[in-house]
Amino acid sequence: MRALVGVLGLLLGILVGACLVLANPLAWFNGLPPLPAELAPVKAYRSDDYRGIEAGVAALLGVGRRDRNVALMDPALPHVRIGIVVLPAGEGMPAALAVKVSAIAEENSLWRAQLGTHDYWNIFWPGEGSVFASGYSNFWGVTRDAFFAAARGGDQEFVATEWPVSALSPLGAWTGVTGAAGRYAGFTGEIRELLYPAPPDSTKKGPDWGIALKVNPPPVTPH
Amino acid sequence: MKRLFGVAFVAGLLVVALATTFWPLPKHLRYRSLITVLPDGGRQEDFMVRWPEDRIRLPDKERSGRPAVAAIGVAVLEDSAGRRASAELFRLRDTEDNIIGVASRVAGTGGAIADPGRSASNWLLVIPSRGALFLAQTDVLDTTVREQITADGNVAVPPAQAAAFWTDRSRFRVTATNPATTGSATTGKVLRGTSEFAGLKGSFTETLDLEEVNADGSTRGRILLSTLTAVGN
Repeated sequence: MRALVGVLGLLLGILVGACLVLANPLAWFNGLPPLPAELAPVKAYRSDDYRGIEAGVAALLGVGRRDRNVALMDPALPHVRIGIVVLPAGEGMPAALAVKVSAIAEENSLWRAQLGTHDYWNIFWPGEGSVFASGYSNFWGVTRDAFFAAARGGDQEFVATEWPVSALSPLGAWTGVTGAAGRYAGFTGEIRELLYPAPPDSTKKGPDWGIALKVNPPPVTPH
Repeated sequence: MKRLFGVAFVAGLLVVALATTFWPLPKHLRYRSLITVLPDGGRQEDFMVRWPEDRIRLPDKERSGRPAVAAIGVAVLEDSAGRRASAELFRLRDTEDNIIGVASRVAGTGGAIADPGRSASNWLLVIPSRGALFLAQTDVLDTTVREQITADGNVAVPPAQAAAFWTDRSRFRVTATNPATTGSATTGKVLRGTSEFAGLKGSFTETLDLEEVNADGSTRGRILLSTLTAVGN
């Protein structure tokens, strides 16, 4: 009986402790505000063509099982993901071909509610131009919601329909968009990324990610 | 019994606190940076990609019956006007042949991007332990990957992976020496860097070196990306 009480107390302590850590309010302060939808509409896409880590908590904590068919097995690349994405046409823009590279941020800190990746994009619109972008995606909110949903017995009612994952870089470093070629050369701007949860009982594959870009032309210098 | 429960509860909290503090979060393996500091200022760092072995194959793109010159892990997007963009994924090496990161080459043609017969291309170099470099250039010719229809479906053929590209040369500079007459791209530019490369700007050149032509018409070689950067250049 004493052992049972001890184990129960320990488990309850671990559960309460995990809840307190996950409920860290810093997670709310770290997030970046969304971009105005009329200026930067979200392009939803599926991220199927990739190699490397899965975008999940296990990989971010370094405990994920590595699928040899997908993982990059080189010693310098176990915590990297690289993939090709086609961003659909719409809102006056043609379809774009893009590459996204994500690398687990070495600066992640569980006390500071930072569990994310540094993300790098190169997006090319045929005949139009191209941009690079850099951001930090924090999966803390995703982890927190998944944990609390599981603690409630898998109740999906309170799980968000989308998670804005873009957050301030733990390095305090620059994030944003840099124009590269064509009519976007010299442009600068901002990037936001969204993660869409897969419906638990759905067999249809919908978009699992969204990206919004807001870019401005370079300032005109008077002659 | 209550006291035991309380002590065990606090011990549980302590376990979480210790795990949160000491959990071994992933770190990236770092190789020594091979940088040459130039006497008149700036720094030179060269990166290398070996083809075809450094191409990153996407899992569902592998199939048999593919021509030897075809590349795996390549995507091509072309609109009805023939304006094309292609993306290639690679492992990235330093000059000591260590795989230090990943790289992508996305090239595009048409309209505002480049003159007819030319392309503009972007290199995204990501070294997980150090950061990323964004490179952009105008190419001396159209270097986008073309799709060819074969009996086994569409295959992607990068120009330099076919022996026909190398009939009269074994070295080829991709980076244009003069800016395009239309469009805004230029000779090779290091546009921006992140993390350890933050604040660096400068120039780069992309050069292809042929090493071997195989009997099946495919080739082996290396892409050399030579960067010359300085802070706030």
